[in-house]
Amino acid sequence: MDRARQLYVQGRSTWGYETEGAPLDGPPGTTQARAKRDPTLQHPRSVFQLLKSHYSRYTPEMVSSITGIPVQQFNDVAKIVGEMGKPDKVMTIVYAVGLTHHTTGGQLIRSGAVLQLLLGNMGRPGGGMNAERGHANIQGNTDHAISWDILPGYLRIPAPGQKSLDDYVAASAAKKSDPNSWNFFGTNYRNFTVSLLKGWYRGVATTSNDFAFHFLPKPATNSSWMSIFDQALKGKMEGVILSGMTATSIGPDTNQVMQALSNLKWLVVMDPLPTTSSEFWRAPGMDPAKINTEVFMLPTTHWIEKDGSFVNSGRWSQWKEQVIPPEGEARHDHWIMADLFDRVKTLYRQSGGKFPDPILAMTLDYNDPKKPELAEIAKEINGKDLLTGSQMTSFANLKADGTTTAGDWIYVGSFTDAGNLMKRRNGVQDPAKNDPTGMGFYPTWAWSWPANRRVLYNRASADLDGKPWDAKRPGIQWNGTTWTGDVPDYPATMNPKDPAAWLPFIMNGEGTGRLFSSSMLDGPIPEHYEPIEAPIPNPLHPAQSEDPVAFLYDQAAGRPNRFGKVDKYPYIATSYRLTEHEHYVTQHVPLLVGLQPQAFVELPEELAKEKGIRTGDRVRVTSERGKIEVAAAVTKRLGPLTLAGNTKVYHIGIPIHWGFIGVSAEQNPDKSKYWLANALTPFVGDVGARTPEFKAFLVNIEKID
Amino acid sequence: MPPAEHFAAPPNWEWWILAYFFFGGISGGSYAIGTLLRLVGTPADQRAARIAFIASFVALLPCPLFLIADLGQPLRFINMLLDASGGGLSFKPWSPMSLGSWALLGFGLFSFVSFLGAVADGGWHAADPIARILRGTIGAVWNVIGTGLGFFVCGYTGVLLAVSNQPVWSDGWPLGGVFLASSLTGAAALLLLLARSRRDVDAGTSVRLELADRNFVVLEVVLIAVFLVTVAVAGTIGKMSGVWLLLWLVVILGLAAPFAFTRVDAARRWAPVTAPILALLSVLALRALVIFSAQT
Amino acid sequence: MAAFQERPVGFFTDTSICIGCKACEVACKEWNQLEGNKPELLLDSFDNTGQLDAQNWRHVQFIEQIPDNNGVVMNPTPIAGGQAWLMMSDVCKHCQNASCLEVCPTNAIVRTEYDSVFIQQDVCNGCRDCISACPYGVIGFNEKTGTAHKCTLCYDRLQNGLQPACAKACPTESIKFGYLDDLQAAADKRLAALQTAGYKKAQLYGRDAKVYGGLNAFFLLMDEPEVYKLPSAQNATLPSRNNLAGYAGGFVTAVVGLVAGVLAFRSQRMNEKTDATR
Ligand SMILES: Nc1nc2c(c(=O)[nH]1)N[C@H]1C(S)=C(S)[C@@H](COP(=O)(O)OP(=O)(O)OC[C@H]3O[C@@H](n4cnc5c(=O)[nH]c(N)nc54)[C@H](O)[C@@H]3O)O[C@H]1N2
Ligand SMILES: Nc1nc2c(c(=O)[nH]1)N[C@H]1C(S)=C(S)[C@@H](COP(=O)(O)OP(=O)(O)OC[C@H]3O[C@@H](n4cnc5c(=O)[nH]c(N)nc54)[C@H](O)[C@@H]3O)O[C@H]1N2
Ligand code: SF4
Ligand code: SF4
Ligand code: SF4
Ligand code: SF4
Ligand code: SF4
Ligand SMILES: [Mo]
Repeated sequence: MDRARQLYVQGRSTWGYETEGAPLDGPPGTTQARAKRDPTLQHPRSVFQLLKSHYSRYTPEMVSSITGIPVQQFNDVAKIVGEMGKPDKVMTIVYAVGLTHHTTGGQLIRSGAVLQLLLGNMGRPGGGMNAERGHANIQGNTDHAISWDILPGYLRIPAPGQKSLDDYVAASAAKKSDPNSWNFFGTNYRNFTVSLLKGWYRGVATTSNDFAFHFLPKPATNSSWMSIFDQALKGKMEGVILSGMTATSIGPDTNQVMQALSNLKWLVVMDPLPTTSSEFWRAPGMDPAKINTEVFMLPTTHWIEKDGSFVNSGRWSQWKEQVIPPEGEARHDHWIMADLFDRVKTLYRQSGGKFPDPILAMTLDYNDPKKPELAEIAKEINGKDLLTGSQMTSFANLKADGTTTAGDWIYVGSFTDAGNLMKRRNGVQDPAKNDPTGMGFYPTWAWSWPANRRVLYNRASADLDGKPWDAKRPGIQWNGTTWTGDVPDYPATMNPKDPAAWLPFIMNGEGTGRLFSSSMLDGPIPEHYEPIEAPIPNPLHPAQSEDPVAFLYDQAAGRPNRFGKVDKYPYIATSYRLTEHEHYVTQHVPLLVGLQPQAFVELPEELAKEKGIRTGDRVRVTSERGKIEVAAAVTKRLGPLTLAGNTKVYHIGIPIHWGFIGVSAEQNPDKSKYWLANALTPFVGDVGARTPEFKAFLVNIEKID
Repeated sequence: MPPAEHFAAPPNWEWWILAYFFFGGISGGSYAIGTLLRLVGTPADQRAARIAFIASFVALLPCPLFLIADLGQPLRFINMLLDASGGGLSFKPWSPMSLGSWALLGFGLFSFVSFLGAVADGGWHAADPIARILRGTIGAVWNVIGTGLGFFVCGYTGVLLAVSNQPVWSDGWPLGGVFLASSLTGAAALLLLLARSRRDVDAGTSVRLELADRNFVVLEVVLIAVFLVTVAVAGTIGKMSGVWLLLWLVVILGLAAPFAFTRVDAARRWAPVTAPILALLSVLALRALVIFSAQT
Repeated sequence: MAAFQERPVGFFTDTSICIGCKACEVACKEWNQLEGNKPELLLDSFDNTGQLDAQNWRHVQFIEQIPDNNGVVMNPTPIAGGQAWLMMSDVCKHCQNASCLEVCPTNAIVRTEYDSVFIQQDVCNGCRDCISACPYGVIGFNEKTGTAHKCTLCYDRLQNGLQPACAKACPTESIKFGYLDDLQAAADKRLAALQTAGYKKAQLYGRDAKVYGGLNAFFLLMDEPEVYKLPSAQNATLPSRNNLAGYAGGFVTAVVGLVAGVLAFRSQRMNEKTDATR
């Protein structure tokens, strides 16, 4: 496996376009290579032909033997999907964690995007590859860089060795590879970055110090969720602050996560409610006497108790009001953080430190820096023109000369001098007025990034002449002088027939959709790999069954890998949500507990018969990492699968919502001991995003007598 | 006719209702037998008639209490008679419970007055004026109307069950008749028991009561059969089998006793007491069976 | 807000688009301050509520219709292929001919200005006759209040111009609230669309007068009514159907009983008389 990974990583530098002709102009003083193009799609090394031969291996029979879907059924679905490639048809793919919770999560999503590009369903109203975001504000979270590898607005986190802003932009911004490519993001990368730095470090960030670029961290390590707990396991973490996140319930391999928490000196839990993390030391199987972690509980307000914005899957940032006032001593998260920051700053000021500058220079331009209002923060995120003092209205006006700020460039325009546009509520009360195009855009309902545009890449909703692919479903269209409809992602008056007109995919260096991408770690064209724990070897290439670059934390840290094999754990398990519960927090809501009162697993009727299990019986489900003891729900909905031609495999479904905390756990202290679904899941995840592989692993099941 | 399908929830009518059905039936049945003894019996039967009227009223006394105790809001029992929202009376002739409430009230009056007459005849002279009136034609009319109401109280309970959407109950319209006939057998058995326990009751009366009892049993058996047929046709007869067969056994024993004991030599000595007791148990068992089996 | 107009309102519950989220159950409890029964693990598919009762005025049924075919579905339209996970949010039907209203001895159950069937809590005495009568098992008895409870069709909300809580909460608009005639028109359209799409078993229940003179809370079902624990039109009978036969049977029995009694006492008298003359 190691060798395979090595070869793979070495090969990555060869993933790229063949180039031809005179280089194109890049940022001042640089040039960019021109990608070779074949509009006939016939060249055997064209992306299209490569895709074709790559996917010719995925015959219906092969798909069936990998997934278990009957060939006939696959063909039926394929036929319907294929028909969605016509101009008068459009299809969307909505995905969530069914795709992401795999070692190949990123590639699964990319394969959907490739399919949609091929069908011409990108940029069209009703089309796209749409992430159905999780928590009410997951979209807002990623937009504002809750992920470890980005800065706000999906700017990359600088890497070690990038000494200057120039280095950073050169390494991070997309490069133009076609003369007709606008390459909007790449072109503006510097404007966005400087405006961000000006927002953070205001007076200290000047042309003379590269706008304090040196303040930004350039992490050499991966700081994904699993990596954090891996570091703790290795004893390299002193403390952790968990805010609105229940590590012990949500992470893979709970027992190992609890071990990691036991290695800490201190743990701060910021939460309105007790969680399995704030109480991890008294989890069944833990010995409180042996745990030296000091646990602090900082009661916060719940999101119902504060205002602020939720950003939905369609990127609409919707301002919400406080529903109920905070209870007890709960404090807003942002007030706790501001207070904490203030104390850290004071300490740095008083006693110095290794690198106090970024902390001392941080702009906190609020009425009360220890109690910022969320509206103030939103206003700051929008950014302003430092020369005039007015709020920015468009990211197109952001500058690299230090005269503009933007806390997050994609939110520029959300909070202008006209006020907080995210508060707008012109909706279905009056569709004729509020939805002039009739396409459901409702442009004055809240505000969506970027630029209040409702459909991304909407230039692709019209053909090369600017006519909608489907007159009944226009996105934007060229009326001879200007683009109308949704907020165009194209220069408003750019004539599509002008030979110099931009290609539709304005954000990419190519100007076109990326059927080929060198940005994925495990391959430019998606390929099927089995999960790390799989019941069969990969029918495509048994010798390299799983993703060759999946990062194996345990192995890398010198701990034994804890993956099970099919002989001991013959059943596939997957974990998922129930509508009735929101992860672990609704364990505190009696009415919802009433709807789904106790932990259970679903298993197929045939398997249940074999094992003598009936609905309501208690069962033990085990994996190489742990066990759960829950009720059984026997159902015909989970039929057996036939894989790899003739291997019959059973599937066990594990809802994730229970633990040793909450109404039901307290009512059933004996039963609830082993209710944490993640006691079973493997400590491994997607190659790039490091999202854990919650959706496929191996288990055994037996009846508890 | 397709088999009936029931998706109704049980009202959880339990012990109070069983007690009411039992005592109400005995009370109404006793009154009817009292009337029969009074109007078509011999002078020698009059003692037994008096006992019947007394028994009727005594059995009736706890009935309202059972009913009130069964209510979720006992103090609102009066809403059965007075309309608490619209004003005026609550009188819904198509609702057996409404009609039954009025019948119970009316029967209570008749039973009470007849009771007074009976105790006057027994030597409680304060009530003599009433006894005097009751001895004449007015008394006969009084007894006939009282019997009508008494029959209503015996039988409407079955109609009440039938006028629902419960399995078994609503599948068996003859339930009213069944309960009425069984009230008569029960009352006859009770009176036999009382008559035999008292030396002053004429032996001939007992013999005639026995005969009446056997007639009533035949009537009851016929009605039970019709009831079972209707329930079987509806397809819900299964609800009354299983453990309920034990109660059926009690029902059958009680029904058979008046016949069996006169034939089986060894039992003869015990017959005078045992047969009526078994018959009363049968009355109780029948009601318990019908009430509970449908609700499980 | 202005109250709704005083004309028939109701629900059109379109089960074909119910996702079984149970938001309706919870919204109803929240609005009506019902605390719910003690949690119980029924695992009847995804249902742990069990039934409509005093604490549950909405109840979402889950019906797994999966024939034995090794889990292989050959037809991409699940219901046409015979494989389906049916969900239905059940509620008081607000029957035109309401069994509960018919039997209630106290007049606690009334028909409101919105044509809904309503139990007046201050009148009900907890006799539970309505429970025995309701053919849909809707009504439950609350030990604490000592009275019968069921869906009020959010009478209090209607009077204040608010639609019922369950309909408001339903994310799919499976529960549609409105004036009855509008709902009926919408239902007819929806049924036609489904039938055109090949859902042959789709049908409206209670839309017309065939069951209980019509239901103000009617349904679009994807299978026969019995599958959803609803009596078919043939089985939808009123309690009062047994009034006449019941009393007639009682009357005949009374007469026969009297005759039997007279015969018993008379025959003995004859004997006595002959005895006396001897
Ligand atoms: N009620 C409720 N709603 C929630 C949440 C909650 O906890 N409760 N959580 C929120 C959050 S944070 C999130 S992230 C979202 C998640 O929303 P979903 O993505 O819907 O979450 P899951 O239920 O975990 O998994 C979804 C489905 O993935 C399918 N699946 C598993 N493996 C595969 C695969 O290989 N391919 C495909 N195509 N499908 C697969 C499973 O059948 C499962 O039904 O839900 C959000 N909404
Ligand atoms: N096996 C398995 N594991 C999984 C998944 C799976 O499908 N299978 N899904 C994964 C996914 S996608 C997710 S998103 C996670 C979910 O994991 P979490 O986000 O940890 O789950 P929640 O229970 O929603 O936790 C949120 C906590 O935030 C608190 N909270 C609510 N509002 C506020 C607030 O305003 N401030 C603060 N500080 N706290 C607040 C709540 O009380 C609660 O304790 O689980 C992951 N784990
Ligand atoms: S469904 Fe039941 S409770 Fe509702 S109106 Fe009809 S009979 Fe009455
Ligand atoms: S329980 Fe209340 S509502 Fe029901 S029938 Fe009796 S009085 Fe009427
Ligand atoms: S109408 Fe109101 S009372 Fe009836 S089920 Fe809906 S929310 Fe509950
Ligand atoms: S709220 Fe709507 S979709 Fe959800 S279960 Fe109820 S009826 Fe179905
Ligand atoms: S599904 Fe329910 S909880 Fe989730 S966003 Fe919609 S209404 Fe809210
Ligand atoms: Mo999530």
